[in-house]
Amino acid sequence: MRIGRYEFKLEKRLSLTGWKAAIISIFAVIFALALFSFIFILAEINPLLAYREMFSYAFVNPYGLPLTINRFIFLLLCTSAFIIPFRAGLWNIGMPGQLYAGALGAFAVLYAFGVKDFRTSDLSPGILIPLMLIVAALGGVGLGAIAGVLKGKFNINEIVVTMILNFIAFWLVSHMIKEGGPFMNPGGRGESFELPSSLYPPMIMGVPFTIFLALGVAVLLYFMFAKTRIGYKIKAHGLSPAASRYAGISTFKIPLLVFIMGGALAGWAGYHYFAAVPGVYKISRNYGYFGDLAFYGIICGLISLGNPLAAIPVALLFGGLSVGGRFVQGQLNMSFGLDYALLGVLMITLVAFQFFYRYQIGWAKTGEERLDVGVLR
Amino acid sequence: MWEFFARSLAASTIFTFAALGELIDQRSGILNVGIEGVMLFGATLGFIAAQVTGSYVIGFLVGIAIGGLLGLLHGFFSITLGADQVVVGMGIWILGFGLTTYIGNPYTGPLGMDRIPTILGLSPFFYVGLVLVIVSWFVLSKTSLGLKIRSVGENPSVAEVSGVDVTKTRYLCVTVGGMLMGLSGAIYSLYYNPVWNYNFLMGWGFIALALVFFSMWNPWILLGGSLLFGTLWQLSLNPQLVLPGVLSRYIWRTVPFVITIGVLLIISTKWFRIRWGAARPEALAVPYVKE
Repeated sequence: MRIGRYEFKLEKRLSLTGWKAAIISIFAVIFALALFSFIFILAEINPLLAYREMFSYAFVNPYGLPLTINRFIFLLLCTSAFIIPFRAGLWNIGMPGQLYAGALGAFAVLYAFGVKDFRTSDLSPGILIPLMLIVAALGGVGLGAIAGVLKGKFNINEIVVTMILNFIAFWLVSHMIKEGGPFMNPGGRGESFELPSSLYPPMIMGVPFTIFLALGVAVLLYFMFAKTRIGYKIKAHGLSPAASRYAGISTFKIPLLVFIMGGALAGWAGYHYFAAVPGVYKISRNYGYFGDLAFYGIICGLISLGNPLAAIPVALLFGGLSVGGRFVQGQLNMSFGLDYALLGVLMITLVAFQFFYRYQIGWAKTGEERLDVGVLR
Repeated sequence: MWEFFARSLAASTIFTFAALGELIDQRSGILNVGIEGVMLFGATLGFIAAQVTGSYVIGFLVGIAIGGLLGLLHGFFSITLGADQVVVGMGIWILGFGLTTYIGNPYTGPLGMDRIPTILGLSPFFYVGLVLVIVSWFVLSKTSLGLKIRSVGENPSVAEVSGVDVTKTRYLCVTVGGMLMGLSGAIYSLYYNPVWNYNFLMGWGFIALALVFFSMWNPWILLGGSLLFGTLWQLSLNPQLVLPGVLSRYIWRTVPFVITIGVLLIISTKWFRIRWGAARPEALAVPYVKE
């Protein structure tokens, strides 16, 4: 293509350095936000004002900031749950289901110890909270392992399976917390019984301890992918399952392993939102909303190109954007679902920008004489 | 019982349309995992258009049009830009899920129009679906256009050499496929359950995707599969018809999904896999770059 005296052409990238990828990702986010401002314009709202409100509520406001941090912990765990299978070339879109299973696991521990009926427990939180974490992880692992086995052993498309498991888990939660289900709130409001105050998680400056879990996991994953043999095997499987099988890497164990790890982390995300975020402490009636938010994990994972450390700032940004989106929607009297719309716009923009990870636009100044020859190739 | 039968057929029609659209896509080698997103768009915009204008025809036309547009968008990314089709499909799905939640919210609630009349007590779309199955079977396996489509899905470079325009054929398929998916969404929101609610589909599109794999890309098996799942879906909503008082109604809602996984397992058996492998469009989800 030629514009003026410059000739543009697409060139396939031979390699992509981390910095270039980061720049493309930043452009993608900026482009998505610019695109998203049309939604504000259509609602006759000045987008700059809306974005200022969004960012200031999410990152400065004393009420908004804790929400952002809690959302960030949740998203980072979901992103890690997405990234591990992603590096193995597999798509885990089952974070919602896995986090529901994790939440059910955490509350099953309380139920087993009779917390529901007595509202207190003889056991100390020092034992119960770790137990809740373990069982929450196991819940996610259970669901993840189904997808892993079906992929590894039977080669069934993991996208369909994880998505279908999401719906199964969604209805299971409804069964447990509604209409006489075992975890139903005695008040019967279509939500689960509440966590007794003795089991509120330890807080550090108002932030649940799960932030260390989420950050620690991200760092560990980074080292796993960079330094360890298992990380190498996962990456090899991601590049080419067939080639890695010839190299002696099991095409059964790797899918199973990545889905188990991903499921465990999504299970923790479930524990975090329903048992560690101040003011929630129960499986709330709108638990489906938190499941939907988990899809932001896909976006964070794609933007950070599967790098667990890069996912940290990305998850913080999107945690803030989703919190701020919900806030300006109320503040500016907009229709419900602004954070959902943002999710959609971000995702499709990212898809479009995938192109630039593979191609670059090169240009050269064309000489006057070449105009006559007309060599455009 | 007649009522139940009629509702089941109405439900299966939605699966038929959506899965048929996906089947046409996949026959030309394009995998669209975002069926649910296209359906959500068709359903929501069709619903809004019908409610605003008071005309069902406009509602369905809008549903078909937006479906076709999204099919084109999917085509642009996966045919012209050669992007990873799974990523594109996920993008379309999340775009649909996110944007329709926002767009449709002011219209939450019932449609408030007269029901579309039935023909001989059955959904009129059932007959249309039947005709479409016959037509697509005929076109795909008996005409030269069908041969082109299948050759593009099996081996695009050979097709290109023998004079078939791969890009054009694929664009045609994704557009028609998208239109069918959009129409299927519109049927859901304008006929099957004319109430708008946030994310109301809850997995129809993904079951349709599984149905296409199950059908071995044969429209007749696809019709059978969608009848099965339409009935199952209806049963899961009305469990009291078969087993009153057994299990909670929420557990019953999981049944179609559990059975979908069972079906996927059956497909993966050796007997099935040999036939499946033979029927599978060889170039499915592989971007084609003209050398």
